[in-house]
Amino acid sequence: MKRRKARGRSQVALVLVAFVLVAAGVIWRRSYGIAQSREIRLLDRDRAQLVALRAKLEGDIRTLAARGTLAPVAEQRLRMHVPHDSQVVIIQRTARGSARR
Amino acid sequence: MAAPVGNDSSRIRLFHLALALFALALVGRAGQVQLWQGAEWARRAARQHVKAAEIPPLRGDILDATGFPLVESRELVQLRVAPRELRDRRALARVLARAGVPAATVKRATDPKRAWVTIPGRFLPTDVAAATAMRGVYTEPAPERVVTRSPGMQRIVGRVGGDGAPVDGLELALDSVLRGVKGAASVVRDARGRSFESPTAPGVAALQGHTVVLTINYALQEIADRALAEAATRMGAEGGDIVVLDPRDGAVLAMASRRPGADAVSATALTEPFEPGSTLKPFIAAALLERGRARPDEVVETHDGRWEYNGRVITDSHKAERMTLAEVIQQSSNIGIVQFAERLSPQEEFETLRDIGVGTPTGVPYPSEAAGILKAPERWSRPTAASMAMGYEVTVTPLQLAAAYAAIANGGELLEPALVKEVRSRDGEVLFRHERRAVRRVMRPETARAVRDMLVGTVANGTAVDADLATFDVAGKTGTARRTAPGRGYVARHYTASFVGLFPAQDPQYVVLVKLDNPVGAYYGGKTAAPISKVVLEAAIAARDAALDRGALARVGRPRPAPADTLPPDTVRLAADVAPPDSAASVPFVVNLAEPAKARPVVLPMRPVPDVRGQPVRAAARALHQAGFRVVLGTGTPGATVPAAGTLARAGTVVRLLRHP
Repeated sequence: MKRRKARGRSQVALVLVAFVLVAAGVIWRRSYGIAQSREIRLLDRDRAQLVALRAKLEGDIRTLAARGTLAPVAEQRLRMHVPHDSQVVIIQRTARGSARR
Repeated sequence: MAAPVGNDSSRIRLFHLALALFALALVGRAGQVQLWQGAEWARRAARQHVKAAEIPPLRGDILDATGFPLVESRELVQLRVAPRELRDRRALARVLARAGVPAATVKRATDPKRAWVTIPGRFLPTDVAAATAMRGVYTEPAPERVVTRSPGMQRIVGRVGGDGAPVDGLELALDSVLRGVKGAASVVRDARGRSFESPTAPGVAALQGHTVVLTINYALQEIADRALAEAATRMGAEGGDIVVLDPRDGAVLAMASRRPGADAVSATALTEPFEPGSTLKPFIAAALLERGRARPDEVVETHDGRWEYNGRVITDSHKAERMTLAEVIQQSSNIGIVQFAERLSPQEEFETLRDIGVGTPTGVPYPSEAAGILKAPERWSRPTAASMAMGYEVTVTPLQLAAAYAAIANGGELLEPALVKEVRSRDGEVLFRHERRAVRRVMRPETARAVRDMLVGTVANGTAVDADLATFDVAGKTGTARRTAPGRGYVARHYTASFVGLFPAQDPQYVVLVKLDNPVGAYYGGKTAAPISKVVLEAAIAARDAALDRGALARVGRPRPAPADTLPPDTVRLAADVAPPDSAASVPFVVNLAEPAKARPVVLPMRPVPDVRGQPVRAAARALHQAGFRVVLGTGTPGATVPAAGTLARAGTVVRLLRHP
């Protein structure tokens, strides 16, 4: 009778321990997931920030390299001008040259 | 220890029973909450802890034909501050000030008496990253549309409002393609109110809109924009348009528009029809050749430049007793073309203009594209046939006219103009690709070639010599048409000057249309619009990539002339100024217009003083300054200038701008 009682108690204790372990595992997994999710969100935000910055910088480069920006500077400061058609030499690609390409 | 007996035992049983009932009640309630009411409670919990957030999609990019981004979306942020939640107000104030937020707004945002402050404007996330990491600062994504600075492009692509909805232009016409698909996210809030994306309910990512590739070549667009802006300023024109079209496939390569006022935002080359004047004459000639009613060398009397017809006097600037059909086109003779047009019935003349696309929108994806006006013969009055032959009583958009000339350039096929080259999905898959589409054949290849030869003569020794290039043949036709004003009919000294060129004449790669509204001073198309076409072509030839087939160009190039660079560039251009003017401006009314002065000063640049009447002093001074003059203020009739508007003066001349005493 006493032995049966002791076995019953140890079984209950085992079940309780198993429950605690499983519950702890579930909570840890959930906390880890949430932490990872927050990390991903921060990284996503950083990525979006950098993408926006890159778009802005590329736009700035395009604006600065545009004919509308460069041409007046070239004409006024460097005394350059758009060549007349007679000042442009169009070099025809030779048959050998085109074959090599 | 003795076992309880009697009353003790019954109390213990009663206690056990109570515990058992309590446990039963707990289990029952748990069962009720979990099983019967579970769904409702789960919904309530979700409402409190989980929030569904909508993720706005980024609109698709718009690229030019070479892949150059014309419009793109970027994600900015809008800031909202809860000042009472802030821990370090000074740090936030520093970050906001660095990001360019006005001091008054910074003060409001850090005032603990306020509960909630929205910072006006949108910020680059990296500029306010330090602020967004602070407690009490909240962000909201605010997508922004970044459009290239080309004014012509801005008119074509249109605008997107602050709420992300398209307002006009291609943005509106292609909204279903560009707008993308909204995403959704489940955001979970923790006990402190911090939110994060739910790990158990992953959201659906927003899908960016498709990428639209236009037929526009940005290098050429910039060339056209600049040429138009400079010419309009130099000539004091109210506005103008330049269209460059590829006659081989109908692709619109550039489209620049300019109108006064900040409210003028549409691509007027598509939305504003005009009376084309003499630029319509080649199509009458084509109709005659096509039907065998005339030959290019056939002669008509042109009555020394003055002829009475149907009670009207028609005049020519280039006065001759007789001209061939080819000369009528080259010298833009009104008398000649009216006589030749008599060989067409009204129905035939109507069909000729209808077939080249007058009166029908071209079909490019642009909201409010105009159709132009072409009256049916039943509604014609007695002089209509003659007026139409001279390009009056009919209106076309610049794009319609360019498309019609493309038919002359490509051997007789009217092509559907295209603005959109491709539509690509976000994965790069091509969803739509423009294919050359012929609307109809409007003339036989032989007719097109004959008309093109006449147009070569117009540039070589007719009204458009200012459009001629040194090493390539250009074909083209000038036009100078009187302008109307609402309720006033034709207005004296108001003209539309235009030129349509085909380059190179032998195998055209471009149709270049230049139109100027009300140029001051010399207003003939041959003197105003034709030189702009030359400027565009020269810059395109010199550009690295302006959609030109250089191999084909090299094959048709003329032998190179003696080095022109030994002369100042402007002197070379001056050599062309001896050309006779385009004569269409004198029709259809009895007005003998003075020819532009042939004796030009040897030293350039000379330019007309712009008309600044009615403008505020500041704007007037700016306009004069932009036109290259030095400005001093004086008193007198407000807005008047000394020298007067339209007077040709050398750049740098001091112009006295008069204002109220």
